[in-house]
Amino acid sequence: MMTTVFNIENLNLFYGDFHALKNIDMVIYKNQVTALIGPSGCGKSTFIRCLNRMNDLIPEAKMEGCVRFDGEECQIGGYDVIGLRKRVGMVFQKPNPFPMSIFDNVAFGPRQQGIKQKEVLQGIVEKALKQAALYEEVKDRLTSSALSLSGGQQQRLCIARALALEPEVILMDEPTSALDPLATQRIESLINDLKEDYTIVIVTHSMQQAARISDYTAFFYMGELREIDTTEKIFKAPRLKQTEDYITGRFG
Amino acid sequence: MRKKPWRQVILDGATYLATLLSVFALGMIFFYVIREGAHLLSFDLLRGDYHARGFVGLVEEETQGSFNLTGQQGENRYLVERLGLVLEQSFDLAGDGVIKVAYIDEASPLRRLTNQDPTSEQSFIGLETGAVLRRVSYVDHPTSLTSRGAASMARDMNDPDRALREVIFSTEGGGIRGSLITTLYLIFITLAIALPFGVLTAIYFNEFAPINRVTKAMRNFIETLTGVPSIIYGLLGITVFVPLTVRLTPAENANLIAGGLTLAVILLPVIIRTTEEALKVVSQDHRFASLALGANKTQTTFKVVLPQALPGILTATFLGIGRVIGESAALIFVLGAAIRDSVRIFEPSTSLAVHIWSMMTDEPANIALSSTIALIILLIVLTLNLAIKTTVWAFDWKGRRS
Repeated sequence: MMTTVFNIENLNLFYGDFHALKNIDMVIYKNQVTALIGPSGCGKSTFIRCLNRMNDLIPEAKMEGCVRFDGEECQIGGYDVIGLRKRVGMVFQKPNPFPMSIFDNVAFGPRQQGIKQKEVLQGIVEKALKQAALYEEVKDRLTSSALSLSGGQQQRLCIARALALEPEVILMDEPTSALDPLATQRIESLINDLKEDYTIVIVTHSMQQAARISDYTAFFYMGELREIDTTEKIFKAPRLKQTEDYITGRFG
Repeated sequence: MRKKPWRQVILDGATYLATLLSVFALGMIFFYVIREGAHLLSFDLLRGDYHARGFVGLVEEETQGSFNLTGQQGENRYLVERLGLVLEQSFDLAGDGVIKVAYIDEASPLRRLTNQDPTSEQSFIGLETGAVLRRVSYVDHPTSLTSRGAASMARDMNDPDRALREVIFSTEGGGIRGSLITTLYLIFITLAIALPFGVLTAIYFNEFAPINRVTKAMRNFIETLTGVPSIIYGLLGITVFVPLTVRLTPAENANLIAGGLTLAVILLPVIIRTTEEALKVVSQDHRFASLALGANKTQTTFKVVLPQALPGILTATFLGIGRVIGESAALIFVLGAAIRDSVRIFEPSTSLAVHIWSMMTDEPANIALSSTIALIILLIVLTLNLAIKTTVWAFDWKGRRS
């Protein structure tokens, strides 16, 4: 039996009057890559933002139901969101490094946690950059601006920045949609490596990507979770006709 | 080629014409102040006292002599061989016509005069090169006045029949050092108050404030305040800040602190608005990225958002300094219109702009010096502008260099 990281029970989310997520029940397993697929506006990005409570930042978003992280209590009300975000990192669609040096970008998270000693930070930064397979490329110019990196490098820097906090889960919201095929390939192989130590939840529009990198695939449609299973099953023998139609490109 | 439709021709023409007129009007300002005021621009003007110090010296004994003044001739110079003195028809720092001592011989009797100032401990005073001669009186002869010119004064002094009685002279006045220092003080005091308040208020409105009717009303209110004439702020200053400073500080009247406070209130809306604009353009992605890294709102605001808004805040600072330098109406109330040479923060003084006002309300108006001060103000603004641009550029470079 695999350990679960997230247990989502009867999750509903409203943007004002719009019912964006409808009665989602789902489990996310530890050290597995779970891919979220579905047509635009189906709620997969909204769902991933429920996992680290980024939806809290949207004033009109209202969350109901239960997201249990690591067997904790329901994350509603006075939940320690900051503490959660340290343990559940996130990588965004567009690479968004801060306009600081490469070093300062990776050290940002630990610094906000109060880590000040230069040697400690250096260790953390080096480790995170190595994990994100970026270290060799930037080790000689850690003090140059992060904005001088290429798009693919910037995205790996963002991954390193998330890794520097040693999270348990990394959420990726279409992390390769702004990148060229080569950079995409590097990120995908990186995800494969990171699986050893981290749980990864990834939103993707590319069926091939989901098939290549994920262990589990969840198909969202119109705010509902229509089907979730191992990636193999979803792609070879989906339960629903709709899932098959989407995967084979008949709609979406 | 297809002919342009007439509407476009008119629109394009209007654009060119408007630009031409704008540039012309702005260029005229420079042209005018340079033409009128450039000749008075000097370091002595910036360094000099405004108030001339006057002396009255009694000629006790007059040694009749004849000094050799060869080599001292020149344009507008008049030799007084009898006293070893060369007078020059000249201008003081403020551009007023004066008679200056261009040269005085070591052995001249006017080097040693009895001081007529009873309050002074000094019993003897003497004319020196650079002194301004105001009046020379004689025994049984009419007095020589500045208004009659250096030629007439030199002729009178050279007349062996006239026995000198009293020489009234002064240091050269008309400098603007006091007003310059006041302006610098004002900039410092005002920004020290307005910047932290303004920037923090802008941060509150842009980062923390809920969007509701109350905050919207507050924003509109602040926006309205940018359009209020400064003389109204001057009234606020004289009814609130002057009494307040008189009560809490050694000040007895209008003073620099009250001036700084009043200007700070004038600046607040400008700084709040400009800073808010700067905060608005900081990418939302960076806020999300920071929050997703477990940073809280305060950390995100001060470590990620604010550094990126710094160029905008520098612009706000620059605009603020411009307002401080340019303000006159409000300051006449709260800082006074008395030009001072030694500036103290608890006493009245004048800024450069008020100095101009003071020169122009003189009888007759001193347009030349006013233009010179205007030129100095323009130069200060220009320098600051360049400084800010360089700083912003340096910040940009630091963020983007490869």
